[in-house]
Amino acid sequence: MTCPMVSHNSEMLVAYAAGELDMESVASLERHLADCPACRSVMADQTALWKALDAWEAPAVSTDFNRRLYRRIDTEARLSWWERLTRPFRPMPLRHALPLTASAALLLMAGFLLQHPAKIAPVEPRSPTVRADQVESTLEDLELLRQFGAVNSPESGHSDAM
Amino acid sequence: MGVAAAALDYDAELMLRVKDGDSACFDLLLEKHRASVIHFVYRLVQEQAVAEELAQEVFLRVYRSRSSYEPTAKFTTWLFRIATHLALNWLRDEKHERGQDRLDDGSPDLPIRQVSDRRPSVEQEMVQRVKLEEIRRAVAALPEKQRAAVLMHKYEEMDYIQIARVLGCSESALKSLLFRAYETLRARLAHMGRI
Amino acid sequence: MRQAVFVFGLALASAAGALVVAQETAAQDQALAANALDRWNRMSPAERERELAKLPPARAKLIRQRLRRYNAMSPQEQQALRERYQTFSELPPAKQQVVRQRLREFRQLPAPRRPIVHAEVERLRALPEAQRQAQLNSEEFRSHFSPQEQEIVRDLTQYLEK
Repeated sequence: MTCPMVSHNSEMLVAYAAGELDMESVASLERHLADCPACRSVMADQTALWKALDAWEAPAVSTDFNRRLYRRIDTEARLSWWERLTRPFRPMPLRHALPLTASAALLLMAGFLLQHPAKIAPVEPRSPTVRADQVESTLEDLELLRQFGAVNSPESGHSDAM
Repeated sequence: MGVAAAALDYDAELMLRVKDGDSACFDLLLEKHRASVIHFVYRLVQEQAVAEELAQEVFLRVYRSRSSYEPTAKFTTWLFRIATHLALNWLRDEKHERGQDRLDDGSPDLPIRQVSDRRPSVEQEMVQRVKLEEIRRAVAALPEKQRAAVLMHKYEEMDYIQIARVLGCSESALKSLLFRAYETLRARLAHMGRI
Repeated sequence: MRQAVFVFGLALASAAGALVVAQETAAQDQALAANALDRWNRMSPAERERELAKLPPARAKLIRQRLRRYNAMSPQEQQALRERYQTFSELPPAKQQVVRQRLREFRQLPAPRRPIVHAEVERLRALPEAQRQAQLNSEEFRSHFSPQEQEIVRDLTQYLEK
């Protein structure tokens, strides 16, 4: 095969380090690597780089991420409704404006209380239903607390997680 | 990608159902993709709170555009296109505000717990912390598109064609960009020795 | 005029009602989170499956495993764990996160160190505050525990009340 470094084709080396090459290409490249110090060096660096990047974990997602998102969706839906209600606006005498404004406010509040939730299923439903990810984080917390509390018991060091 | 081909992309099918008013399908898409979107944005901007805010905006935009959704590409291509766009905009705004590459200012945003290979000894913890900081800085020092390309390739395991579509370039341009990025990272991290 | 005032007053009352609903919802949210597992166990199998189906299969499977293990604990063990969890869940979210992190780090300690760190936490928790602080700041404490272990002891002693 043509030397990847000579042909400026590090794609093969990158794919090899990432474990993406097919078996035939792996065999061909490995035969080449046996005789090519330049490629061996790049390969070693790329493999080491891949391993280093593997170690870079991202933090866990906040447990209230969905709830915050659904609230924003909800808020947007309600704001649109409010905007529709307040258009068009024209100045008018106070004796007309006051009761009209009050009635509009009353209607708005009634709508706020009575309207159905946004089409998206609410994250915190009024029914006893609980989301699976809420249970998931509760179970994890329970397990952490159980493991801490169990340290001096016969199960101490037992790796059987919940 | 024609409508017929969308049948092969389960996520696109779900999104079409969201378009039809099936909100449970949006829940499914959110659960399936939120972690990868947040993690991708996090590694781009390197601030967890910002990453979650931007990720929220990504899904908000997906939801807002449901009535006009057309499966012209894979769902994840569209999703990551939005995420990349928002993250890169944030990075540019930050750079403009602060007048420097904030991400390369040496202030660690990543506590030791984010290194997956935890060892009990204090010395090994220190070594891991230093390594992680080097990795973080090296990625942060890449030009934005190269950074995004590396993160999609390495952590989202996207193929070249898809990454190219996300970044709006040809496959050959993407490969050139990506391999240049890897070359830079190898050079920058080589002083650490074989990691 | 009198009618306008009446209508306006009604609007204000509705606004206050909406605020109360919002506050109750927030309280319900917290109550929901604290009792997620109990509420989950009260849901019908169909509801539980519907929730689990929203998660990636690997996560759903892990939740099922953890639920089986929890439900297999004796009533006394469950009660003790629930009490510990109750204390934990009453902490503000930021402190919960600290405790969670320290418990994870505790779990990662080498097996021989865990009972020692655990015993130190229990010992310090039993002391009055002033004495506890003196011990935590002492050279003896620092010499017996690594910096990470010191942080674990410090935070768990402070936040995991008896």
